[in-house]
Amino acid sequence: MASVRRSKSENLFIRYLILGSWALFCLGPVIWFLSIGFRPRTEIISPQPIYIPTLSLDAWNMIWSDWPMAKYLRNSVAAIFGSVVIDLVLAIPAAYSLSRYAYRGRDDIGFYILSTRMMAPAIVAIPIFFLFRNMGLLDTIWALMLIYAAINLSIVTWIIRSYMMDIPKELEDAARTDGAGDLRILWEIIIPAVLPGIITAAVIAMIFAINEFLFTLLIASTPDAYTMSVALANFTGGSDGLIYNAIALVAFLAFVPVFLVVVAIQKHLSRGLTMGAVKG
Amino acid sequence: MNKLTKPSRRTFLQNSAALGVTSAIGSGLATPAFAGSHLKDPAMILNDISVSKYVRQDYQDLYKMTGAPLWDPDKDWIRTVDWEKVRKELSGTTVRFAIGAADAESAAEGLVPFEALSGIKVELVPIPDDSFYDKALAEFISGNASFDALQFFSPWLGDFAAPGFLHELDDFAEKWGLPLDDFYDTYRLNYGFFNGKMYGIPFDCDIQMVHVRKSYMEQILGGEVDIVNSVPTYDELIRVSGELNKIEPGVSGVGMMAAPGFWSTYTWEHISAQAGMMLFDNNWEPIFNGDEGMKGIDTILQLAKNANEGLAGAGWPENRAAWLGGQVATNISWQDSGTQAMRPDQSQIVDDFVTIYEPRIAGGRFAPPNIAGSTSCVAASAQNAEGAFLMLGFLTTASIMAMNEANANGVAPGYRSVLTNEELQKVSQPAKVWGDSLDHAWCSPRLPGAFPIEQAIGNEINRAVVGQITGREALDNAAAAVRTIMSENGFYQGNDPVDYAAAEPGLYVGEGKPLPF
Amino acid sequence: MNDSQLSDTGAASAAPSMPTPKPAFKRRSKRLKAWFPYLLVAPAVSYLLMITLYPGIYAIVQSFYAVKFGPWNPVGFDNYVRLWGDYQFWGALWNTFIMGAISLSLQCVIALTLAFYAYRDPWVKGWRIIFLVPMLFMPSAVAFLYKLLFLDARVFADVLIRLGLIDGNLAIQSSIWGSRALLILTDVWQWTPFLFIIFVAGLQGQDEEIEEAARLDGATWGKIFWNISLPLMRPVIAVALVIRAIDITTMFANVFIVTKGGPAFGTETISYFIYRTGFKFFNFGYASAASVIMLIITIAVAQLVVKRAFRSGKD
Repeated sequence: MASVRRSKSENLFIRYLILGSWALFCLGPVIWFLSIGFRPRTEIISPQPIYIPTLSLDAWNMIWSDWPMAKYLRNSVAAIFGSVVIDLVLAIPAAYSLSRYAYRGRDDIGFYILSTRMMAPAIVAIPIFFLFRNMGLLDTIWALMLIYAAINLSIVTWIIRSYMMDIPKELEDAARTDGAGDLRILWEIIIPAVLPGIITAAVIAMIFAINEFLFTLLIASTPDAYTMSVALANFTGGSDGLIYNAIALVAFLAFVPVFLVVVAIQKHLSRGLTMGAVKG
Repeated sequence: MNKLTKPSRRTFLQNSAALGVTSAIGSGLATPAFAGSHLKDPAMILNDISVSKYVRQDYQDLYKMTGAPLWDPDKDWIRTVDWEKVRKELSGTTVRFAIGAADAESAAEGLVPFEALSGIKVELVPIPDDSFYDKALAEFISGNASFDALQFFSPWLGDFAAPGFLHELDDFAEKWGLPLDDFYDTYRLNYGFFNGKMYGIPFDCDIQMVHVRKSYMEQILGGEVDIVNSVPTYDELIRVSGELNKIEPGVSGVGMMAAPGFWSTYTWEHISAQAGMMLFDNNWEPIFNGDEGMKGIDTILQLAKNANEGLAGAGWPENRAAWLGGQVATNISWQDSGTQAMRPDQSQIVDDFVTIYEPRIAGGRFAPPNIAGSTSCVAASAQNAEGAFLMLGFLTTASIMAMNEANANGVAPGYRSVLTNEELQKVSQPAKVWGDSLDHAWCSPRLPGAFPIEQAIGNEINRAVVGQITGREALDNAAAAVRTIMSENGFYQGNDPVDYAAAEPGLYVGEGKPLPF
Repeated sequence: MNDSQLSDTGAASAAPSMPTPKPAFKRRSKRLKAWFPYLLVAPAVSYLLMITLYPGIYAIVQSFYAVKFGPWNPVGFDNYVRLWGDYQFWGALWNTFIMGAISLSLQCVIALTLAFYAYRDPWVKGWRIIFLVPMLFMPSAVAFLYKLLFLDARVFADVLIRLGLIDGNLAIQSSIWGSRALLILTDVWQWTPFLFIIFVAGLQGQDEEIEEAARLDGATWGKIFWNISLPLMRPVIAVALVIRAIDITTMFANVFIVTKGGPAFGTETISYFIYRTGFKFFNFGYASAASVIMLIITIAVAQLVVKRAFRSGKD
């Protein structure tokens, strides 16, 4: 499949100029943000920006002592993990159906699933709030899990579907002549074959779930259900104004685990994330 | 300052709970049944509600605080009320308190002394800050609110009181001797009363003021800043801010809030009030697009030329950061700009600023504006209205409010006895000017629909500030929009939800009084 | 349609399997087989229906009422008529479109360029990790970062001043296009990686032999990319763009945190308009009507594009 191209007779200078500039553009703000996290509050906003700040652990101490940051981390992890599991359980059969079968309404169903991503959060928020309240699910991690799962189901389904479309028919046919039923084929053949795709989809779902803000804000009212994204809101609304160094550190706390996971599955990410549109 | 979200009393309440008060009570609070005999002697608990225990240690050291009270003990309700009587009548009952979710934990700690004093258990009902208004309203409408007490942004008083969602408090105030007279009139009338009845206890008591940087001003003036005469008019402020603009790289002449929404409204109300502007006539018809209102917006547009670039997007957090960070040479904002700037952990301009008396406008009047703030109320459907009232009385009592001010956490006292207290004035720079100004304060009426009204006006003013429309158009558009909102809220149909005669005394309390300077 | 047309197995797809004689009991379960694909997809669809149907119907119903907090007053099509004449509503639609289109185009072009250079580079893995970083931050945090960098701390303006490019203040918040540019920049910074990794994977998945053949014929990498790779990638690009486009139309967090829709409603996206009418002016019926319209528009547009991409996926 994909291999590293050899680049000969190629203007390396231009290539590294372009790639390097973008890399700088990507990392520059991140590094600066990190420096914001580790400086005292008084050095963040001034008539002229301070480029060489004094090191300070004020914000670090504050976010751990004043707020239950460990709880937020835990809630984030639990809600995200749970929602990804829900998504995989629902999406894998659905993707299998959409990719390997022909039946009436298949395209419409596929389109419907994709279209759920278009629901603007702002408008579904209030009815969902009342729905969850009546079900007694407010302020629980379960509610967050359900919402994140719903938001990301479409994209997880589509990604897995595209990987499944890549699987050669022969695999399936061979198993069928051996007498295997459809479910067994799914379980023993298809899923292992698209494992990279499943992992990719799970990671993408994880990224989007961490990022979810509006619903989390509405559903979670106490630290029992607060996640990292809402923890951010704690540093932005009180009578202390915007506490940028705390915001920066919380952002990094949420970033690091995601980054590590992505690095770990790097090689799977590369394998044909093509949505089933390219032959190969 | 409580800007739409609950104030972050976090550090204050944590300090107060940390030292001695919690540990002495023990775990008895978790159990439902209170026998009066298990409770500590109130005097001991009250002793711990003191400067040495509640004010941040670094501030105590910085201002060499002796522990002397920042308030008048005779006017401090928690020290004058009969806690034994409270215990006898209400011990063992429960009060449910709606609180902005961000404050839930620290509020719990701060209420421990109250629970100890009264024997009343407090249950917190967290509501996400961002949607506090509509959540609270939804609860009220359901007829069975899940809370007994709540504190909220005072402009919403009309929205909650007009449909009858709030419990009248006159009887409680009289029975338990709440020192209502100690409140400045403008706070008592506007945050506490609606249509002549009492519905709230003022909590965060705000005022907008003008602050200037000493070192820069002295360069321009050639001498020390005189808080009465250095900037006596807004025309002078325009001139001065022009000279101060770019006095150093990155420093602008004036800071203001002109973001869309109520921020712009507040800045405009602030200045227009000095021109003599009133929002409505006695039939509740909008008249703010008259000459006085125009003078206000013209002044804003002129000042905008000398303001920092971000003013069209500046709400309180941005403006506060710019002022404390030293990016503006003068600032039009709330009183906490004058207090928080004193604190080295928050401010870069410590000792280099001063709060002046409100500049005047020729042909207008001295009318420093009482803007925003928050009030404490009891739900009409409350299960324990009296207990809720007592809890609110505790939270708003003079000593605790004075120490909030000392901690510069943005929650401000509205008591005469506090603002005129010498010890408090040492730790709150604007206090004297603030107190003097309050007897002349202007305030907007608390109407149902106030929240959308303030937004509608502000959105138009923001458009004018950015140059999309003229000031004239902005105010005319705003007047039309306001009229629509008001008729949607029941006005102009022969039975106005708010009686003008009842609201009028609070709108401007400075009539006929001599200036404080 | 038979099974062999469903999966893209490339050129060498096997011939349909020989029909095997089915044992008796399997004939009975043939009906089950017909329903099987529906059963597979049913849990996902029901779940989504539960979560989207209720708010969807709620919003549609509510759009025919004037609702504040009290009773629902039926007003027929009044909300829709008012929307028609509401300059803020049209403005929001326009803002969403113009900011979305510019942002998406920029992201696409940049991602393609980067993918073109990166996929042949020996260090492609490293570049991918670096370029991925912006996407892994919480969007709300990124919004604060950009707010600080460009607005509150004035870093960008300061750098420009030091470089001598400007001598006054940079008009961002007081300028509608300045604010729009900032939001576009924030979106581009954060989401270009999404397109980038998809494009790189697409390029890497292409048949090397074709490229080798073209190289032997003397074509430059640029020509290869333009005439061979890009056309082959069209379906990939289409699907990726659709997903990103859908997300852009719901742009909310950046607007909420950085500009609050200002100045003068210049950066108010349709999502923010709905939020403001609902949660700041409490006209819930009005907000519902706006969201219904928005839903209709997005579904209509997506129908055209997605169905086409779906189809080309099979070609």
